[in-house]
Amino acid sequence: MADKNYYTVDPQGKLRCLKCGVPLEKGKAKFLYLDNGFPVELPVCPVCGFVYVPEELALGKVLAVEKALEDK
Amino acid sequence: MIIEERGSTHVYKQIRMLSKEELERLESRCVHEQPAFCVAACPLKLDAKALAQAVSQGNFDEARKLYEKIAPFPHILAAGCDAPCEAKCRLTERGDAVDLRALEQAAMAYGQRGRARGVLRMKKRKTAAVFGSGLYSLFLAGELNKKAYPVTVFCREDDADAFIAAGAGFAPPEALAADAALLKETDIAFRFSTDLSRELIEEQRERFDVLCLSPELYASLYPEGSADAALQYDRENRLVSGSPRGVTETAFCAKKAALTVDRLAQNLDPGNSRGAEGPVETRLYTDVSGAEALARVPHQGLYTPGEAVREAGRCLQCRCDECIKGCAYLQHYQKFPRVLTREIYNNVSIIMGDHMMNKPINACSLCGQCSVTCPNGYDMGEICHLARQNMVSTDKMPLAPHEFALMDMLFSNNEAFLCRPQPGFETCQYVFFPGCQAAAIAPETVKAAYLDLCRRLDGGVGLLLGCCGAICDWAGRYELYDQTKEFIRRELARLGDPTVIVGCPSCKKELAGYGELKLVGIWDVLLRLGLPEGARGLERPAALHDSCGARGDPGTQEAVRSIAKALGVRLEDTPYSGDRSPCCGYGGLTAYANREVAGEMTAKCLERSDAPYISYCMACRDRFARQGRESRHILELVYGTDAGDPPDISQKRYNRLTLKKELLWELWHEETREMKLDFELRFTEEALRLMDERMILKDDVIAVLEEQRRTGQAVFDADSGLTAACRRVGNVTFWVKYTPLDNGGYLVRSAYSHRMQVVRRQG
Ligand code: SF4
Ligand code: SF4
Ligand code: SF4
Repeated sequence: MADKNYYTVDPQGKLRCLKCGVPLEKGKAKFLYLDNGFPVELPVCPVCGFVYVPEELALGKVLAVEKALEDK
Repeated sequence: MIIEERGSTHVYKQIRMLSKEELERLESRCVHEQPAFCVAACPLKLDAKALAQAVSQGNFDEARKLYEKIAPFPHILAAGCDAPCEAKCRLTERGDAVDLRALEQAAMAYGQRGRARGVLRMKKRKTAAVFGSGLYSLFLAGELNKKAYPVTVFCREDDADAFIAAGAGFAPPEALAADAALLKETDIAFRFSTDLSRELIEEQRERFDVLCLSPELYASLYPEGSADAALQYDRENRLVSGSPRGVTETAFCAKKAALTVDRLAQNLDPGNSRGAEGPVETRLYTDVSGAEALARVPHQGLYTPGEAVREAGRCLQCRCDECIKGCAYLQHYQKFPRVLTREIYNNVSIIMGDHMMNKPINACSLCGQCSVTCPNGYDMGEICHLARQNMVSTDKMPLAPHEFALMDMLFSNNEAFLCRPQPGFETCQYVFFPGCQAAAIAPETVKAAYLDLCRRLDGGVGLLLGCCGAICDWAGRYELYDQTKEFIRRELARLGDPTVIVGCPSCKKELAGYGELKLVGIWDVLLRLGLPEGARGLERPAALHDSCGARGDPGTQEAVRSIAKALGVRLEDTPYSGDRSPCCGYGGLTAYANREVAGEMTAKCLERSDAPYISYCMACRDRFARQGRESRHILELVYGTDAGDPPDISQKRYNRLTLKKELLWELWHEETREMKLDFELRFTEEALRLMDERMILKDDVIAVLEEQRRTGQAVFDADSGLTAACRRVGNVTFWVKYTPLDNGGYLVRSAYSHRMQVVRRQG
């Protein structure tokens, strides 16, 4: 279990997938940008696999990483 | 249609932006780092400007330190220096030069002495002898002592006081006493009361590595000798000496002589690699026209500290900052073009690692103001433009800063594009090209102008609603620019290559770059035809803002002024007008790439006057209105229209589409298909604000919601009670947070986006 995640968001049962009618769970996902990838843990629907990116994450960490990569 | 994101950050390709020589040629235009006039004039290399500054701040210690650096016996020098710096002081053009000599004396009188010099330092192994007395011998012995050579002085005088007095009879007793004290602290050795003869000197060759003579002794004992003035050296006789006149020249020659000793002691030729000595030419530019013409603070003898501070306060601290004074961008980064250019060049040239300069490169508005305000025409915009093109060519240009603008341009030249001959004509004499921003911001005005031109011009006036390509040109996307150029050219050919009546000075400039187009500004046409009925100026006096697109185009600047005059507008004089005008923040896509800097640019434009602003570029009009300033485009006044409050980004697109639709229907009787949503869509105020700030269009939101309807995919958040859905459009993932309406519609409460892709990962 040496799996390093750059970021983890735990839905704590508060998010539901409206398509599948089930709660989202903490699941494995990956950010991809300009040919760089980062493993993360995000709320994922266990049935359809939909990955949720909360607003705070998009405007915070995600934006910061985007900016850093853009200037590489 | 989308624009492709740059590829991998791990692909390394290099194309040089400029050759080293081109870079150096460009950089050498900037004279910011050239020495001030007084500094350049000083043969001893005193930083007189820094000294004046220190004194003006009451920091006499610092001033003294600066002065002690250039003179081993500073009291005597200060008493006798002829101050060539003062002759070159730029204040002589307005009044009296700064009394630098008096400031030097004040520095010596009121400053604390720096750390004691040299006594404890390791001495060099080679030795020097100085024969004879006088100022030259005194200064030379001091210079050699500073260089840590063991020095022995042979003189006829009986003690140090007499030796000093023999050299500096002109100095007041306090100065002599102070420097005598300094001399006694040194470890210069003396042979007082010596009978100086040629034999004695020749004998000493055994004991000393270098022999130096006072000018008088040299002239009398070696009459056949001819010491080189630049080196202070007689190669035949292997003697260091010279024949200087005056206190300053003597001090300078003593410095040259000391350098010669240094070279000889190392068995090097005294003529080689001596570095820059003496006064230099300076290319510095300083505008003194605004300086107050003042007389120097009078003094009898020494200044009091207060008087010295006042006199030093008159110093202009000469420097060149013409470019920075007018440009919010340079002020933001606090760098001079020369420095900025070097940093940009170096950073663009690196292959791996952080490209720290991307932000500054993309923040310049490419407006060319600096090329006018700089006395040497330094065009920082040209360098940033080159850097952008270079980044695009090496695939190092991120898409994010410019994507919205580029997509907007594609929108202008696709969905919102229109090119038609005037109804009833196959080809036309003219075509009206209002510019994409005019149609986006003031569609009514565009329509009124077009109808007026059709009515009053013969030979048919076509209409071309689209973008001239300035957007992709500014973004450095040269391939897209070439495509756009081809596209517009083809459309014009379909109309029979008419004369293009441009409504925007930036379009005019851009289209002029196509070559071979017949171009005329609508302002020139209006002056020829006369103003239409209903044209009215403003009641209050107004400020005219010259568009950066009209820089170097006095005809356009004048024509707009004539129109304003004909409208009865009273124009205020503002600083930085005409060719010196700053950019509103839209130019060069600054408004997209760096909102902060763009905001500072707008503020800089508006600080010139409190009056309402009249402009002749729609982007300027829009940016000033956004800052809450009463802002009108000259064509709004000409046609009695008012575009009102500035539209948000979605409205700007809607305006272009609606204008196209209306004109197609009213003039060409063509109907466009109405895109109707089959669900209700409402936005909270907050959502609209966030979308404008985050550059998210209503169309993006609709795209997300249509996808949501198709797939049923969405996430409900129990904490906020909101539902979120997303969709990837082009290079961006858009998210919409909403509350469902009872009728199956949406109340949008927020929207956000990210460029990063998110995928599931196994294991
Ligand atoms: S105006 Fe600016 S770019 Fe031009 S010489 Fe002066 S400091 Fe340099
Ligand atoms: S105004 Fe000041 S900096 Fe300029 S030349 Fe005179 S003393 Fe030197
Ligand atoms: S914003 Fe304009 S004046 Fe300022 S550096 Fe760029 S081109 Fe020059």
